[in-house]
Amino acid sequence: MVSPDVVESLISGVRLSSVGPAAVTPPDLIYEPSNMDLAMKLHYLRGVYFFSSSSVEGFTIPKIKETMFQWLELYYHASGRFRRSESGRPFIKCNDCGVRFIEAKCSQTLDEWLEIKDFSTHCRFVSNQVIGPELPFSPLVLLQITWFKCGGMAVGVSWAHVLGDAFSASNFINMWGQVLAGNKPELPPYVSRLEKSEKPPSLAQEPLSVKRVDPVGDNWVVPGNCKMEMLSFRLAATQLDGLQSRVSGQKQKNDQAPLFECICAVIWQSLAKIREGPEPRIVTICRKEPHNRGRLTLSNNQMISVAKADFSVVEAKPKDLVELIAKPSVNENTQIEKLVKKDQGLMDFVFYGANLTFVDLGGSDLYGLELNKTKPVFVNYTVDGVGDEGVIFVLPEAKVAGEDGRGGQTVTLILPENQLMKLKDELKREWSIK
Amino acid sequence: MPQTIPSFTSSVRLKYVKLGYRYLVNNLLTVLFIPIMAGLLLEVLRLGPDEIFRLWNSLELDLVHILCSGFLIIIIVTVYLMSRPRHIYLVDFSCFKPLGTLRAPLTTFVEHGRIIKGPDSKAVQFSLKIFERCGLGDETCVPPALRYIPPALTIANSREEAELVIFSAIDSLLEKTGVKPKSIDILILNCSIFSPTPSLTAMIVNKYKMRGDIKSFNLSGMGCSAGMISIGLARDLLQVHPNSYALVVSTEIITYSGYYGEQPSMMLPNCIFRMGSAALLLSNMRKERSRAKYRLFHVIRTHKGADDTAYRCVYQEEDPDGFKGVSLSKDITMVAGQALKSNITTIGPLVLPASEQLLFVLTLVGRKLFERKWKPYIPDFKQAFDHFCIHAGGRAVIDELEKYLNLSAEDVEASRMTLHRFGNTSSSSIWYELSYIETKGRMKKGDRIWQIGFGSGFKCNSVVWKCNRNIRPPVDSPWSECIHRYPVKIPDVVKII
Repeated sequence: MVSPDVVESLISGVRLSSVGPAAVTPPDLIYEPSNMDLAMKLHYLRGVYFFSSSSVEGFTIPKIKETMFQWLELYYHASGRFRRSESGRPFIKCNDCGVRFIEAKCSQTLDEWLEIKDFSTHCRFVSNQVIGPELPFSPLVLLQITWFKCGGMAVGVSWAHVLGDAFSASNFINMWGQVLAGNKPELPPYVSRLEKSEKPPSLAQEPLSVKRVDPVGDNWVVPGNCKMEMLSFRLAATQLDGLQSRVSGQKQKNDQAPLFECICAVIWQSLAKIREGPEPRIVTICRKEPHNRGRLTLSNNQMISVAKADFSVVEAKPKDLVELIAKPSVNENTQIEKLVKKDQGLMDFVFYGANLTFVDLGGSDLYGLELNKTKPVFVNYTVDGVGDEGVIFVLPEAKVAGEDGRGGQTVTLILPENQLMKLKDELKREWSIK
Repeated sequence: MPQTIPSFTSSVRLKYVKLGYRYLVNNLLTVLFIPIMAGLLLEVLRLGPDEIFRLWNSLELDLVHILCSGFLIIIIVTVYLMSRPRHIYLVDFSCFKPLGTLRAPLTTFVEHGRIIKGPDSKAVQFSLKIFERCGLGDETCVPPALRYIPPALTIANSREEAELVIFSAIDSLLEKTGVKPKSIDILILNCSIFSPTPSLTAMIVNKYKMRGDIKSFNLSGMGCSAGMISIGLARDLLQVHPNSYALVVSTEIITYSGYYGEQPSMMLPNCIFRMGSAALLLSNMRKERSRAKYRLFHVIRTHKGADDTAYRCVYQEEDPDGFKGVSLSKDITMVAGQALKSNITTIGPLVLPASEQLLFVLTLVGRKLFERKWKPYIPDFKQAFDHFCIHAGGRAVIDELEKYLNLSAEDVEASRMTLHRFGNTSSSSIWYELSYIETKGRMKKGDRIWQIGFGSGFKCNSVVWKCNRNIRPPVDSPWSECIHRYPVKIPDVVKII
């Protein structure tokens, strides 16, 4: 890990401003988040996109800002601010207040930074602000543009999960690239989004993937005990092949276990081994929902399912864990919605880290943000406001020339500090993952 | 007749009485002239042609007499024509059209203020109250430097803003009129707060490569009514220099005038000033007569600076914490009212029809001689003007003038809507208002326009124009894209938070 002093001196010249929609949003427009959205409100996605200097040649801050004004017209509610209705349920007032825009400079070159294998300085390229303590003055999205010494650029997106899941966030930022390239779609109609007020439904069984937390009021952070740390490592395609064949015990590609499930199984078992106390028997799995809602729709629609192990995770064969994760299990989306609706959206929940959570970002167009027609060199996402059980993100990487055009995977772990180092050692020892 | 007489008949009958009175007094000469001419004609007809011929011969005029009389008449007419002031025409004008990417909604202002000064800052709370009542909309624009937290108030950024607003207005104007920069003989710019060295006029001369013998003037420190002072100066210069073009630029560079202290008296300009500029092309050339939009009739300047209260009522100074700002005293409404009274006393006789002037004089005499209880008669300026452009200095200014001059909501619509859409752009606001009237298609040939503005000093200045030709709604005005949304109803208090 890089020492804190080095991290502090890394970023300088920070300037704050705001950008918002170029066209006026009609007054009195509101956006009411769905019950699913409200279940996620204590979580924040922090994504960073790294571009080489050739991708951003000719880019200046005024030009970037100008294109962002055009882009934000398409998602005018993301520039709004939260209020509470008479019942106390939060809603967004589409008042064009804007998203925060942060400019910074990094004293390293892009290549020097990419050599830092664990990417623990990821947090320096994206804002860690949360919504609160005052709802009317908290931006929902914060963008950070960091210039490297070599001319490369990092685009940091701090995204309130209440607006949408990682797939929506990815679509959101990719659209900026489209606007830059001159392919701006037609503006959506200016219409308030209202939740239907219905009688609270009866809930047969409470979902396992979310847990209630003590009321947080207007400061939307997960009340947590452990200090969570982040660690990322990249697995090249060859490493992945090796992992897959070892897990499934098969040499042929066709019979091998699916990639995401393999990685999940490996980490699940390793965590179970190093953890003091009871091993995690329940995990939450998030995947992209199969339906395509269009690039302009932001929502929390990722498929949430839960896998419960009736056997000892430590003793089990990794193949069994893979089967458990891969089999279509109970989809918890509807139950979560019912749970939130029961309390009319007033309760606070933690989702990521309520159980050990695995998120498969494989279905997202993660490398879809194109500047000057080039894709980013590297993209990473993490999440803030994580419960004590931890979160694992599995992100696809850009396809590389050669190696059958397959890219690797980035695995980002957010776990309590003490568990992270032990897990790192275990993965290195048992699975040769560095 | 004076307002103190209670309504004794139905208002309809009163209206006809008023109309009849106006026609009689305004056309008095014609009314007297017709019977006299009729009488003369009857007399001539009665005499018959022979009698008239005999009358003519009895005068015993010979050729010398006739020639001398003829020459005398010619000399008198020539001297009269030469001594008349030249006609000054406004060929065309252009206002800076801000892009949506410079937009600053009021909520953003409040949020930035809270981050810079802290949520408990009295200044921020006071500014919130101002924003709720100011009458500005969410489309007004600020320059990029003021969007930063904290803002970057440097000379370099001020120059950038100046280049953006001034050059884009001038480019648009030169394109519309087809006049080359090298044809400009006179260049006048007014910008109150920002006055760097070299001057902004030098910046324009440099950018457009104007002639070496150009007569340039940079007016600074003269407040929001300086635009009219510039027009007055241009008019005077065009009297002296024949066949000339004068380019007049009115603007205010707000990057330099930002205030970030805690004094409430200095907050108002900070809250309502926005970026804007106007470029006008004036000329005395005869060839411009056919295509010029307006003809200049009067420029009336009233200066109340001799009075100490008026002098100090808009005052630039450092606050106790060292922040530079412009403070507005509590007497400003009273001072403005007095300045306005002086101005309309001067302008009244020049523009008002005889009927209104007579009423005013009669009321004045009546007040002096008889009952002091008679209220002073405020002349009906709607008789003299078809359009009013009241400097959008603030909602209170427009409200007061609407009440005092008895104007209708439509008369002050241009001012209110300009304040809503563009904010207080200082000296250029009267041009945004005129552009509004044109874009709405309300301007016709022969319409008379009154532009009135207030500024530090304390000054109240007026300019009177007459529309020279029919004007089609322009497609490139700053209002073109949004005019269909206007007029909007502006609530008394807008909920920002």
